[in-house]
Amino acid sequence: MTAPVEQPSSTNLAVAQRVPLWRDVVVVKWFTQVSLLAIVLAALWLFVGQAGNNLRAKDITIGFDFIDRPVDVQLSEGIDTLPYSGGRALWVGMVNTLRVAAGGIVVATILGIFVALSRLSNNWMLRKVGAMWVEGLRNVPLLVQIIFYSSILAALPRTTFLDPTAAAGPLNQNQGPIHNWLHISNKGLSIPRVFIADGFYQWAIVILLGAIAAYFVRKKRLKLHDETGRETSPILWAAGTLAIFGFVGLFIHPVFSFVGPIMGGIASLIDSLTIPMIQALISVIAVLLALRWIRKFRADRRSGSGHLNLSDDDWFRMIFAGLASVVVIVVIYKWTGLSSWLLNSGQDLFRLAETKFNVDGAARPFDAMRPDVLKPGKFANYGLNGLTMTRGFAALFFGVTFYHSAHVGEILRGGILSVPKGQIEAASAIGLNRAQSLRRVILPQAFRISLPPLGNQYLSLTKNTSLAIAVGYSDIVQVGQTIYNQTGKALPVMSVWMLFYLACSLTISVVVNFFNMRLELVER
Amino acid sequence: MTEIQSSAGVPVITAPPQEPHLPPKEWLKKNLFSNVGNTFITIVTSVVILSLANGLLGFAFGSERQWNAVAVNSRLYMSFAYPEAQYNRIWFSFATLLVLAGLSMAIWRGGTRVPFARLAKSSFSFGVGLAIMVLLAPLSTSGTIKWGIAAGVLLLAGFIFKRSANENEDEGDGRSLSSLTLLVGTFASIISTLWFIPYGRHSFVGDRTPQVMSEPGTVAFSTQLPWTIMLFVLVGAYYLGVVLRDRLPERRTRGVLMGLWLLSPFFLIYLVLRDPSFTMNHVLYTDIPLVLGFLVVGGLLLYALTKPSLGEIGRIAAVLILLVGFGSFLTPMRMIVRIFLIALGFFSLAAPTFSGDKSTRRRYSSIWSGFIIIAGWLITAVNTPSTVEVPGDLFFGGATLTLIVAFFTVVLSYPLGVLLALARTSNMPIFRLLATTFIEFIRGVPLITILIFFSVMLPLFLPEGMHLPEITSVTIGYALFSAAYVAENIRGGLQSVTRGQHEAAEAVGMSTSQKTVFIILPQALRMSIPPMVGHTIGTFKETSLLYIIGLFDLLYVGRSVIPNQTAFIGSTRENLLFVSVLYWVISYSMSKASQRIEKRVGLGER
Repeated sequence: MTAPVEQPSSTNLAVAQRVPLWRDVVVVKWFTQVSLLAIVLAALWLFVGQAGNNLRAKDITIGFDFIDRPVDVQLSEGIDTLPYSGGRALWVGMVNTLRVAAGGIVVATILGIFVALSRLSNNWMLRKVGAMWVEGLRNVPLLVQIIFYSSILAALPRTTFLDPTAAAGPLNQNQGPIHNWLHISNKGLSIPRVFIADGFYQWAIVILLGAIAAYFVRKKRLKLHDETGRETSPILWAAGTLAIFGFVGLFIHPVFSFVGPIMGGIASLIDSLTIPMIQALISVIAVLLALRWIRKFRADRRSGSGHLNLSDDDWFRMIFAGLASVVVIVVIYKWTGLSSWLLNSGQDLFRLAETKFNVDGAARPFDAMRPDVLKPGKFANYGLNGLTMTRGFAALFFGVTFYHSAHVGEILRGGILSVPKGQIEAASAIGLNRAQSLRRVILPQAFRISLPPLGNQYLSLTKNTSLAIAVGYSDIVQVGQTIYNQTGKALPVMSVWMLFYLACSLTISVVVNFFNMRLELVER
Repeated sequence: MTEIQSSAGVPVITAPPQEPHLPPKEWLKKNLFSNVGNTFITIVTSVVILSLANGLLGFAFGSERQWNAVAVNSRLYMSFAYPEAQYNRIWFSFATLLVLAGLSMAIWRGGTRVPFARLAKSSFSFGVGLAIMVLLAPLSTSGTIKWGIAAGVLLLAGFIFKRSANENEDEGDGRSLSSLTLLVGTFASIISTLWFIPYGRHSFVGDRTPQVMSEPGTVAFSTQLPWTIMLFVLVGAYYLGVVLRDRLPERRTRGVLMGLWLLSPFFLIYLVLRDPSFTMNHVLYTDIPLVLGFLVVGGLLLYALTKPSLGEIGRIAAVLILLVGFGSFLTPMRMIVRIFLIALGFFSLAAPTFSGDKSTRRRYSSIWSGFIIIAGWLITAVNTPSTVEVPGDLFFGGATLTLIVAFFTVVLSYPLGVLLALARTSNMPIFRLLATTFIEFIRGVPLITILIFFSVMLPLFLPEGMHLPEITSVTIGYALFSAAYVAENIRGGLQSVTRGQHEAAEAVGMSTSQKTVFIILPQALRMSIPPMVGHTIGTFKETSLLYIIGLFDLLYVGRSVIPNQTAFIGSTRENLLFVSVLYWVISYSMSKASQRIEKRVGLGER
C-alpha cells in the first residue's frame, strides 16, 4: 500500500528543499484543527443566536433573577418546605439530593461488602442468595425499581391520626407495629428522633476527657503489645474507654457546669481589652511566629558539623517570612475594624459558651421525640417531630442503595478474587485465622484494586438520585422543574443543575483520588 | 465451537479441573453443614428465603391481584396505539427480525450442546422449586392441581433425562441436546398453550373506547395463529441458514447479514410501520435523478481520487468539495443536495487512506454507491408523511418504542464515540480539548437532565420553521450521552494497543489515518467489545427514562396507562412487576449470552 501523503517531516528538518504548504504536516494539522474549531464555534454561535431570537419572540428573558425573586413552590420535604425565593428552593433541593446521595453511598458500600462476602462464602445457600441479589437487581432498570418500591409503599395502610385530646387512649391498630415508636403508613415511615438537649455541652466535656484517656490507653496497650507480643486489641480498649466515659458522663455531666463561669470570666477578660492592646498582641505574636520559623529554618539548614550554608532561595524565604509578619502588622493597624470585630466575636463566642454550660443540673444531654402521626394533607414534617422517612425518600433511597449495592458487591468480589492466592496462603502460614487474614491481608488489597471503579459507582449513584422526579421527592431536578414551569427560565435552571452535578462529581473524584493515592503501592 | 477457536487463532483454554461429583449427603455436608457457623447461616438464610418467597407468592397469587390487566393489554405493551387494522405490519416486522435471527443463529453456529445430565439437574431444581411454590402460595384448589401437575411433569422430565443420560455413560460425555432445540421447544410449548387456554379474556369489549380487541374477546384467540406462524418462520429461517452456510462463502454471508441487521430497523420503521405515501412525481423526477447523479459522478470521482499516484491534488479537490458543501448553506438549496455534497467531501477526504489497486478502488466507489442509495432512500422516506392514523404524533409505543430508541441510540452513538475517543487520544491539542470537555461534561451530569434539556430546550435552538418531533430530539440526547461513555470504553481499548503496533505500522510506511483505520482501530474495537456489550445493556435499561419525559414507553404503559383504565384501576403493582420481569429477562439473557460468546471466542483477551 503506497502512501502518497504525509511523509514525516520531523526527520528532514534541515533538508534544503522546502515542503509545500499544503503538504506540511504541521500546517495541515493546525489547519484541520482550527477549521474544526471554527465550525464548532460557528454552529454554537448560530444555535445560541437562534435561541436568543426564539426566546425574545416568546418574551422570555434569560437571567438568574429568579434566584432572588419569591416563587410559589411547595416542596414535599426538606429543610424548608415553603422557600421564600427560587434560590432558597434550589438550595433545599440540593440538600435533599445530597441527603440521599450521602446516605446511599454509605449504605450501598456496607451492603455491597456483605454481598461480596456472601457470594464468596463457602456456604452454598448464602452464595446463591448473593447471586440472586446481584443478578436480580442489576438487570432491572433503576427507574422501574424506584417506581415499584414507591407503589409498594403506597399500598401500605393509610395514615390515621391521633386525637391530641385523648392523652392515653387505646392503641389504634393502624398506627404501626409499635405504637408511638414506629409508624408505617402510606406516607412514610416515622421513628423517634434523638436530638441534642441542654446538657449536651457538659457531656461533651466528659467525652473530650474520655478521648484523651482513650488515646493514652491505646498507647499503653500498643506498648504492651510491643513488649509481650500478645494480641492486646488497642482499638477495642480505646473504644471501651470512650464508651465508659460516655456512659458515666450521662449521669455526672452536671459536674462540669463550673466551666460556664470560667467561660464567662474569659469573656469579661476579653471585654476589658482595648483595641490597641489587641493590635499590639497580634503584632507581637506575628513577629514571634516569624522569628521562630526563621530560627527553625536555620536549624534545619545547618549541616551535621554545624555549618550553615544558605542559598539565595533560602534567604528569599526568610525575608518572605519576615515580610509576612510586617504585612500582618500593617493590616492590623490599617483596619482597626478587624480588631474590634475579633474582640466582639470572641466575646460573643465565650458568652454563648457560658450560657451553654450554665444550665439546670437536671438537664439531660439528649432527648428524644416520639413521632407524631403525619397530619393528612400536610407535607412531611421533617424536623418537627420524629424522624420521618417519606415515601419518596424511601423509594429513592432503597432504589439507589439496592441497585448500587449489587454493583459495589460485584466490584469488591472482583477485587477480592484478584488478590493473589499466595497472599492468603502466606497469611495462614503466619498463623492468622480466616477473619484476621480477611481483615488484615485480603480486604486492604481488594480495596486498593477496587477503589477506582467504586468511585465510578459513587458518582453514578449521586447522578441517579435525579430519578427522584419520578416519585415526587424534592431533589434539585424536581424543584428546578417546578421553578422553570412557573417562571419559564429553563436555561438558567438547567445550568444550575449541571453546575451542581459537576461540582458533586468533581468532589467525589477528588476524594476518591486522594484515597487512591494514599492506598497506592509505593514502588521503590 | 472448537472450529471457531482454532480459526480465530486463540489457544484453547483448558478448563479448570471438574469438582468431584459428591453423593447428595456428602454434598450437603460440605456445602451447607460443614460446621456450626455454617449450619447456622444455612438455617437463617433458608428461613429468610422461605418467608420472602411466601410474601412474594402471597402477593403474586393473592385473590385481589388483577393479572388480567397485563394479559388483556398485551397489545398496549407491545406497540401501544398502533391501529389494529394495520396490525399485520407489526407481525411482518416481527417476522423479518425473526428471519434474521434464525439465519444468524445458523450462520454463526449459535447454541451449544446441553448434556442430559444438566437438563435433568435443572428440571429437578425447577420442579422442586415449583412444588415448594405450590405449597406456599395461596392458590385455589384448581390452581393447586394445575401447578402441581406442572411440577410433577418437570420432575418426571428430570427423571427421564437422568435415566437416558445414565444409559449412555460409557460414550464419553453422554447424550446431549442442542440448546436451540430446547429454546424452540420451550417457545413451542408456550405458544401451543394459546390454542387451549383463553388468556386475556375481557368482559367489557364494546363498552370501552378505544376498544382493546374486537370480538371474540380473548388475546389468546387473536394471537394464536400469528404466533404459530412466527415459530415456523423462525425454524424455517434457521434451516435456510443451515443450507446457506454450507453453500456460500462464510465471510461474505456474515457481512451481508450484519448489514441487514443494521438496515432492517430503518426499512421496517420507515417503509413498513410508517406506511408512507410517496408522491410518485416527486420521487421519479427529483429524488431518483438526484441519487443517480450523485451515485455516478461521486463514484467516478472517488475512483479517480483513490489513485495512489495522485498526490495532493486529491486532497485539494476534497477540501474544495467540502467548501462547496458548507458554502451551500448560504444559498437556498435542497437539503438533500447539501448533505450529499458534504458526504462526498468527507468521502474524498478519506480517499487517500483507501487507495490501492483497481479492486480496492472499485470497492471504495461501491461503498459510496451503497451509502448514497441508502441515504437517499432514507431521506426521501423520512420526508414523506405517514399514513398511520394514531392519536398523538408517535405511531409506535410500548416495547416497540423502547427497542427503537435503544437501537438508534446504539447506532448513532458508536461511530460518534469512536470519533470522540480518537480525538481524545490524538496528539492535536484542539481536538483533544474539545473531545475531553464534551466527554467529561456529559459524564458529569445525570442522563435525565440531558433528556429534559433536549426535550424542552432543543426546539428553542432550532431555526424557524424547522420542527423536530420530541422522540427525535430525545434520541439525539440519548445518543450524545451514550457516545461519551462509548468513547471512554474505546479509549480503554485504544490504550491497550501496544506501542509496537504503532511503530510497526509506521515502519511499513502507513500514513496516520491508514495506521488508525487498518491497524489500531480493529484491535482497539475488539478489546472494547466486553465493556461495550455491558454499555448496550445499560442503554437498553436507560430507555425507561422515557417515562419521565412523558413518552409512551414500556414503563409508561405499565405505570400510567393501564392502571388508569376503568377496568383495571389499582393494578399498578402487577403491571410494574410485569415490566420488571420483562426487562430482567431481556437484560439477563443478553448479558449471559454475551458472557458465553466472549468466553468462547476469547474476546477481550489479547
